[in-house]
Order: sequence, then C-alpha cells, then structure tokens
Amino acid sequence: MQDFFANHPRVWRAFDILLPFLATLAALGIGAIMLMVFDANPVVAYGALLEGAFGSTNALADTLVKATPLLLVALGICIAFRGGVINIGGEGQLILGALGATVVGLNFQDSPGYVVIPLAMLFGFIAGGAWGAIPGFLKAYFNVNEILSTIMMNAIAVQGMNYLLSGPLIDPVQLEAASRIPQTARLSAAFDLPRLVPTRLHLGTGLAIIAAFLVFIFLWRTVVGYRIRAVGLNSNASRYAGINVPRHIVLSLLLSGAFCGLAGAIQIYGLHHRMFTDGSATGFTGSAGFNGIVVALFGQLHPLGAIPASFLFGALIVGANKLQRVMQVPSSFIIALNGLVVVFVVSADYWRRRMARRREAEEVGEMIESSEAEVPT
Amino acid sequence: MDSSTFILVLASIMLASTPLIIAVCGEILTERSGIVNLSLDGSMLMAAMTGFVVAFETDNVWFGFLAGAAIGALFAFIVAFGSIRLRQSQFAIGFVLAMLGQDLSAFLGQNYTRIPGPFVTHFPIPYLKDIPVIGPIFFSHNAVVYFAYILVIVTWFWLFRTQPGLRLRSAGDRPEAGFARGVGINRQRYLYTLIGGALVGIAGASYSLSIKIGWSEGITGGLGWIALAIVIFGGWSPVRGMFGALLFGAAKALATYMQRAFPEVSVVAFNALPWVLMILVLLLVGSDFTERLVTIAPKSLQRPLQRLLRISPPQALGTTFVED
Repeated sequence: MQDFFANHPRVWRAFDILLPFLATLAALGIGAIMLMVFDANPVVAYGALLEGAFGSTNALADTLVKATPLLLVALGICIAFRGGVINIGGEGQLILGALGATVVGLNFQDSPGYVVIPLAMLFGFIAGGAWGAIPGFLKAYFNVNEILSTIMMNAIAVQGMNYLLSGPLIDPVQLEAASRIPQTARLSAAFDLPRLVPTRLHLGTGLAIIAAFLVFIFLWRTVVGYRIRAVGLNSNASRYAGINVPRHIVLSLLLSGAFCGLAGAIQIYGLHHRMFTDGSATGFTGSAGFNGIVVALFGQLHPLGAIPASFLFGALIVGANKLQRVMQVPSSFIIALNGLVVVFVVSADYWRRRMARRREAEEVGEMIESSEAEVPT
Repeated sequence: MDSSTFILVLASIMLASTPLIIAVCGEILTERSGIVNLSLDGSMLMAAMTGFVVAFETDNVWFGFLAGAAIGALFAFIVAFGSIRLRQSQFAIGFVLAMLGQDLSAFLGQNYTRIPGPFVTHFPIPYLKDIPVIGPIFFSHNAVVYFAYILVIVTWFWLFRTQPGLRLRSAGDRPEAGFARGVGINRQRYLYTLIGGALVGIAGASYSLSIKIGWSEGITGGLGWIALAIVIFGGWSPVRGMFGALLFGAAKALATYMQRAFPEVSVVAFNALPWVLMILVLLLVGSDFTERLVTIAPKSLQRPLQRLLRISPPQALGTTFVED
C-alpha cells in the first residue's frame, strides 16, 4: 500500500483531503451498530438522516441555517487558536452579542431596517468582543488562565441573560400575562434579514461565508494577522522581534469573541427575531458556542476549512433530529454520534500525519541514496 | 444567627466541600505530573451517574464509589493516552470529554433521575464527636468526609515528603532532569493521571451518594471547573487547595444566607457570585498583588510569608515529553 501511494502522489493527496469524510463514514458505521442495539434498521435510519439534511430545499436550507452560527463561532475559535489562546467562552460571547443586537432593535423599533440591521450587527460584534476581551486582558496582563476564565464568563453571561430577560427586557405582553415567559418582544418585521422564501434560509449564511474569507485574508495577508499568528507560534520569539505580545493576546481574544457575538446577532435578526432563555445557556445558543470549537478543529483551524466543516456538522445536527423523530431512538443518540465523529476525525488526522512523516522520511532516504550514487568513487 | 445554627452552617460547609476537596487533590496529583485533565466536570458527572446506578442496582454504596473511580480513571486514561501516545492537544481532548460526559451522563442516566437510592450513612466518630464546637463541625459526618481530609494529608505527604513523590514532581517540573536520573516520565504521567482521575471519579460519585441523595442531570453544577480554578488558587498544594475549597464552600453558604436576608436583590446576582469570585481569585493569584502585600510585613516575616504565598505551576505543565 505504501508503494502504491509513493507511485501515485495525486491519489495520496486526494486521500488526504477525503480522510475526514472517510472518518465520518467510519463513525456512522459504529453508529449503525448502536442503532441495531436500539432495534432500529440502520439503512432506514441513515436514509432519514440524509433526507432530513439534504432531502428537500427546505431541509437543505435548514442545514445551512444551522451551519451559520457554527461557522461564525468557528472563525472566532480559529483566530484565538492561531493567536495561541483557547477560547471556550463562545457560549457567553454569543449570548452577549445577541443581547447587544436585541437591545439596539428594541430601542429603535420605528427606524428603517437598513439603519438598524447594520447597527445591530456592529453592536453584537462589539458586545461579544468586549466579553471576549475581558479574559484576554486578564490573560495578557495578570496571567489568568483563559480556559477557566472564559468558562466562568459563560456562567456569568447566562445569569446576566436570565436577569435581563425576566426583568428589564421582558416582553410587555409577558409582563401582563401570568406565565411571564422570559423573552423579549418580537423585533419589528422590518429588521428581519432578507429570507429565501419559503425556506428559513436568511442572508446571515452569506454574511458568514464572506466573514470566513475576510478572516482568512486578515490572518494570512495583513500585518496584524501575521503578528497574531507569530505570537501564537512562539510568544518569546515575537517579543524579541518587537511585537507587543500582551496587546495581541487581548486582540485575538477580542476578535474571537466578536465573531461569536456576531453569530448571536445573526441568530436574532435572521432566525429568532427575539431573545429568549430557558434558564440555561443551551436554550438560546443550542450549544453553538461549544460545537463551533469542534467545527474549527475539524476544519484544521483554518477559516476556509471551517466552511465545509460547519456545513457537515449542520447537516449532522439537522439530519440527526429527523432520524430521531423517525426512528424514535433517544435524542442523546445524536450527541453520541457527534462525539464519535469528532473522535474518529481527530484520530484519522493523527494517522494521516504519521503516514506523512513516514513518507517524508522515505523520500529523504531515497534522496540520500541517489546522491550517494552520484558521488564518483 | 445564634451559635448552634452557626455550627450547623460550618458543618454543612465541611460536608458540601468534600467532593471539591477530593477532586482538587486528584487534579493536583495529575497536574504535578505534567498533565492537565480538563475533563473534570464531565468525568465527575459521569462518575456521579454511574456511581448512583451501580449503587442502586447492587444496593451497595461502596460498589458505587468503585464504579465512579473506574469511570474517572477511564476518562483520565483517554486524556493521558491522547496526549502522550497520540500527541494531541490535551486541552482539546479534555474539553471534548467534559462536554461528552455532560451529555452522555444525561442520556445514560435518564431512567434513574430523581429516584431515592442508597447513600453513605451518617457515621459520627465516637468520643471525638462529643467535643463541644469541634465535634459537630469536624467529626459528625459520613466516611466520605473523613476520607477527604485524610486524603489531603496523604497527598501532601506523598508529594513533598517521599521519594515517589519527588519522582512524580520531577515529571511535571523538569522532565529532562528526571529522565536523566532514570525516571520513566511518561509512566509517571500515566500512573498519576489514572490515580488522579480515579479520585475525581470518587468525588463525582460522592455527589450522588453523599451530598445530594440520588442522581439528576448536571448534579455538579459546574463544580468541576471550579475545582480546576482552585487547583491554581491552591498553588498545586493539597493543603492550600483544601482551604481554597472550604473558602469557596463558605462563600456559597454566605450567598445562600444573603439571599434569604436580602430577598429584594435578584437571585441572579447570587447565582453569578461564585463565578465572579473565582475570576477575582484567579486574578489575585496571577497578579503580583500578593508579593507587594508581603513587602508591607515586618522584615522577619517576609521570607516565611513569601514561601507561604508563592505559587509556581509545574514548569512542564501541559507539555509533551519524548523519551529517547
């Protein structure tokens, strides 16, 4: 097999690219065994999954809608990881972004959409960025572990959201009703992001894809992006090269949070049109802040890689919901399936890198042999 | 609040802090060997669920604790194997496991939620429990609480007063030096990640078998993350970690008390309080504030104070070591 790959480098490269998908298929294979344990026919089940994710225009649109926040959060995570910091605060930053955008919408209910929507997006961007900058500041200047502080900021954001939505921001209708559901009033219909009627696909998906290209350009084609990556690769070398390391740590977490915040703002204006909570973080975010991390890792921490990765995970979530409805398997089966995919993809990546190392070693060996042959004796 | 209720509150803080103390000790052992097990919250939840289910089915709490320890060790093994053998980021693995444990425990334990089951019986230590004030606070609990305090002493002694402890610390502090002296660095790391994980599992199981009776979703309330912060606050020392855990328990008890005293303040403020507090604590530990504080003290006290307050993470924490 090794010889075959050595003789056909193009096949090898195609194999490299396809590997994550092959790993996904392998994970689905294990999932099939689990389905059999639940007395469900795996062929029917995966048929339902595919149909749920891609079966109709509506299904495809739902997949894209689900992928949108995942992509934006993954972009944020990419920036943080490239800057050498780990941002686990996606959930909190997403909530802050959504809150910021909602506040803008609620305060300008009578203004035209073309003014309010960009303003709200900007506000969501800033609010998420501010929430991300706090752990960044603590990390850069006080050496506070960012993994822990971002997780704690998540918990604080959830409490803040619960307070605002059951008090100051609550829908006046709910205030009079006995139920007092913690949610805001619906934002003016003029603020809805343009939608591909009759599906739920909205402009936010396009914005997210544009953002992915912008993040790529930012990280690989600008000076600031270069500095962020330099700090991430080796902070000591960067400091000796004259880069202000603490400032770039703050900046990478700020931008990371800002894209998570943008995800929240787009969820509000594109999909929900109001903010709501069920008391926990997942009620509003659907764990996008966490799943985005997985998406970013799946996309090799590359902004453009995050586009197909988020699509795949969106499809998996939407399709698995359909699977669960059709087959009546426990809803947590989906979570287990997602986990399997992650584990398989990560280990496949390890295997690929090891093969690549071995291949390089062989090539070097051949070169040494051939150069030795050329030396006249 | 009269004195008898005050004693009761102190006793309840002691009880409520036990899982945190056990988990902190376990994580300190792991981190001192150079591995960060970030999966704490997930593995505690899984251990709490498994521990309760096993105890319920076998009607024996100790089997429950055993099962919890096994689950904790399994999670820890995945982290160790992934970082040592597969060279993956231990933070990524730990984090994914933390998420997985949260969801998986909710899924697998759904048939066992909110049902009464076996629990550790109250076991006041004879004679000692009759000492006024101290007796009810320290010696009128169940076996898990006593285990936690013995564990703190044993862990401290093991780490700082024995040869194996020195080898363990060399793996986390100076792996190259340790390796040159014949210490199998990665073997140490596997060993103490597994032991630490088992302790974390016991901490998790004590949630469903000792603190709150029965299993329910998200029973730890995110305390695994707090434990990780307390390890840092405690400067990777079990004794200081214990005080950190007790301090946290006291702050939570205070928040509950304040909530009753000030009903007009939103409950949200008190829910957010422990998290804000933990960030402030990390800030305090990370900044040079304490060092400046020491310089105010009289000269003769400065050195011992510095020793007491000094916090230095294991030098090679979170890095991989290649033996060759």
